[in-house]
Amino acid sequence: MVSPELEALTWIAVHGRGVISTAQASQIALTLSQAGVCAGREAYYYMRYDDSPERVQMPLIYYAVLGGPRIEVILPEEVEPVGRIFDAIAVLDSSMLVSSTSQRALLLDGAKEDASLIVNTSLAPDAVLKLVKKYGCAQDWEGEIAAVRARKYHPNPSFGMIGAITRAMEHEITIDDVVDALEALEKAGDAVEAVRRAYEETEPLRVSVKAADCAPWKLKSKAIESYRRLPQPPLAPWDRETYMGLKARAAEAPTYEFRYASMPRWEVLAPGLIEFGNRPSERNAGFKTSMSRTFRPVIDRGLCTDCKLCHIFCPDGAIDFGAIKVEYDYCTGCGICAGVCGPKAISMVHELKALEGLDEEEVLTIREALIEYAY
Amino acid sequence: MSKVVLKVAPKPVQKRRVWTGARAVAEAVKLADVDVIAAYPIRPYTGIMNALASMIAGGDFYAEYIVCDSEHSQFEVVKHASAVGARTFVGSSGTGLVYGAEAVVVTALGQLPVVGIIGCRALDDPGNFGMEWNDAFLFRDVGWMVSWARDPQEALDMVVVAYRIAEDHGVLLPHFVALDGATITHVASPVVPPSKEHVGEFLPPYKPPYPIDPMSGPVSKAMHVSPSLIGPEQRKVLDVAMKRAKDEVIPGAWKRWGDVTGRRYPAFLEAKHMDDSDYVLVTMGAYSKDVEYIVDRLRKRNVKIGSIRMRYLRPFPTEDVQAALENARAIGVVDFSFSLGSPNHGSVLYNEIRAALYDTGARPSIMDFIFAGGREMTMADLDKAVGLLIKAADEGGINKPVRWLNLRGEDI
Repeated sequence: MVSPELEALTWIAVHGRGVISTAQASQIALTLSQAGVCAGREAYYYMRYDDSPERVQMPLIYYAVLGGPRIEVILPEEVEPVGRIFDAIAVLDSSMLVSSTSQRALLLDGAKEDASLIVNTSLAPDAVLKLVKKYGCAQDWEGEIAAVRARKYHPNPSFGMIGAITRAMEHEITIDDVVDALEALEKAGDAVEAVRRAYEETEPLRVSVKAADCAPWKLKSKAIESYRRLPQPPLAPWDRETYMGLKARAAEAPTYEFRYASMPRWEVLAPGLIEFGNRPSERNAGFKTSMSRTFRPVIDRGLCTDCKLCHIFCPDGAIDFGAIKVEYDYCTGCGICAGVCGPKAISMVHELKALEGLDEEEVLTIREALIEYAY
Repeated sequence: MSKVVLKVAPKPVQKRRVWTGARAVAEAVKLADVDVIAAYPIRPYTGIMNALASMIAGGDFYAEYIVCDSEHSQFEVVKHASAVGARTFVGSSGTGLVYGAEAVVVTALGQLPVVGIIGCRALDDPGNFGMEWNDAFLFRDVGWMVSWARDPQEALDMVVVAYRIAEDHGVLLPHFVALDGATITHVASPVVPPSKEHVGEFLPPYKPPYPIDPMSGPVSKAMHVSPSLIGPEQRKVLDVAMKRAKDEVIPGAWKRWGDVTGRRYPAFLEAKHMDDSDYVLVTMGAYSKDVEYIVDRLRKRNVKIGSIRMRYLRPFPTEDVQAALENARAIGVVDFSFSLGSPNHGSVLYNEIRAALYDTGARPSIMDFIFAGGREMTMADLDKAVGLLIKAADEGGINKPVRWLNLRGEDI
C-alpha cells in the first residue's frame, strides 16, 4: 500500500521517448514543478533513473511531484512496487497507448483511481478511451481523458501539453501559477500564449472504467491465477535450465510481487556474475523491446525478393532468416530494414495504424527534439 | 577410526638458494604452471617480470607473457584470461597499481581468481621508491584477499598457496600477495624451493566452474548489474566467499602446505612470546623481523613483551586478533601507512586492530607508531617505540596514541 507520506503528494508522470521527446518530457515536468513552487508548495522533478534517454525511442518517464509546504521523504526511483500514486499521466507519443511503457508496466499502472490521462494525439478522447481499455488499463478508473494536438499551439509540443495538463489538473495547479512558472523560466510570450490557448481549448472527457471491462485486466487475472499455482523457485544453486526458465517467468510476471518472487536469492547465484546465455536461435526472454516502437516495419510480400539484407542489417536480430519475418517482440522500430531494402518492400507503419487502423497525425520526430535544443 | 594417511611425495634433496623476493616469486609462478602473465614495468615489480621473462626465454617453462601498455591493460588482460579459465599472474606497485584500479576492482566482483603481487611502494608522483603500504590498502575493501609476506621464502610459499585458496570453488576471489618493496623484493636471502612434485600434488590445475566454452552452452561473465534484479545478492555472494576463505579455505590450505613441504606456517597470526605478555608489538611484512628481534632482546631482560605478525589483512582474522590481544596491557602497532583524517589521525592497520578489539571486554590501550613516507625504520626507532609503550602502560594511560617516530620536527 502507498505510504501516507507519498499518498499526500501530487504526482504527474510524463511519458516520452529517448532523444525524440526527452527534452519535452523534461521541460513539462520542470514547468509543472516550477508552477508548484510559484504556488508556494515544495516541488521536485526527476527522471526515472533506470531509463535511457540517450537511446532513441526508448520509453522514459519524468515525474513532477508537488508536496505541501515540504516534501519529507526521498522519492522512490522504482515506483512500481509503491502502488497507485499518479494524479496525472501525460503521454507525448500516442503509440504508447498500445505498448507497455517500460519492460513491464501498462500505461495506467500506478495511476490513482481519479487520475487524468493527457495525450498528445489527433484522436478524439473516446478513441483514446477505447485504446486504453484494450491495451493500457487493468484497474478501476474514474478519471478524465484530455486529448490535445500540442503542435497546433506551438512548434515545441511541450507548451500545448502543459496547457492541457493544467486544464486536467485545475484543482491542483492554476493557469496563473503556470504562467508565473514560464516567466520564472524565461519563456517567451508565444510560449505563454500557447499554454493559455491549449488550456482554454482543451475539454477533458469524464470516463468511468471498470477493471473487468479491460482486456489487460482479464489477461492479468488469468496470469495471476497461473502464477499462484507455480512452484517456489528452488533454493539450491540454479543450473542453466532453471535460470532460463525463471528468467522468462520473471519477465512475464503479472505483478511486481510475482516478478520479485521469481528472481534469484543470493544462495542460488553462480559465482562471478554469471548470466546463462541463449543458445543459437533462442531469443532472450528477459529483454523484449517492442515498447520502444512508434512505427513497425511491414513487409510487402509481392515486392520482397528475399535478398536477406534486412536480416543482415537488423541490429536487434529481430528478422528471421529462413522466411523473412519480423519478430515484433524484439523489434525496436528503428527503420534500418526499410532503409536498406532495395525494392522498397518494407514500409514503416504507425503502431496505431497497424494494430487498429487509426490514422495518427500527431507524431513527434527528431525535428521537435532539435527545436527544443534551439538548432 | 581409520587413520588418515597423507600421501607425501618422497623428499628430494632440497637445495638452499640465495634469491631475492622477486626471483623467489618468479620461481613460484613457474612452479604453479601459470598460463598467462601480464607485465608492465614498475619498481619493485620489474624484478619479478624480468625474472619471468628470462625463464620463459630460457625455456624453463611456457606461459603467455603479455607486455601491456599500462597497468590498466595489465589487469584487464589477466581478468579476461582468468574468465576463460587460464591461471594468471600479474603484479604492480604504487601509483601504477592505482592506475589499474578500475580493472582491479571488477576482477574481484567477477570472482576471477587472479593472483597478483603488490610490491609496496609509496604513492608519490613521480617517484618515491620508499616502502609504504597504502597502495595495497587501497584495495582492502573490494573483495581481494590481501596477505603480507615476511621474507623471500614466505613470498614463494604464499604465491603458490594463494592460487589454491583463490581457485577454491567455495572462494573464487582474487588474491594479492603484498611484498614490502626493497626489503623483500630486492634483497636476496636463502630460499628452499619446493619441488615440482610437491607443488603438483598441492595445486591441481584450475577448473573454472563456468568456463566460457561454447560446448558447455553460452554464458556471459560479469554481467550488467541492475539493482532491482541483482544488487545486494551479488555482494552477499562475495561476502560469503570471503567468510569461507577465512573460516575454512585459508587455514586448510596452509595446513596442507605444511604437510606437503614440511614448512609450517600459522594461518593468520604469527605470535612470539604471547603466553604472558603485557606489552605487544603488532606489525606485518618484512619489518616483523626487526620487531621480533627487539622483542627477543627485551625478553632476555625479563620485559614481558611479545609480538604478533599479521599474515592476512583480508580476510581480517578478527577472532584470532581478539584472542591474542585482549589480555595485553598495551599494544603498539608498527605501521607503514597513513590514513589522513582517520579516527585519532592514526594509520590503517592501527584502526583495523582497534576496531577488532572494540568488542572485547578488556579494551587494551593501543598506540600507533607511524613510519610514513617510505623512510626506513631503524632499531633505534623501535627502541623508542617500546619505551613509549611501556611508559604509557605503567602510567596507566595513553595521552598521545599516535606517534611519528622517524619524523624530523615536532610530532604534533
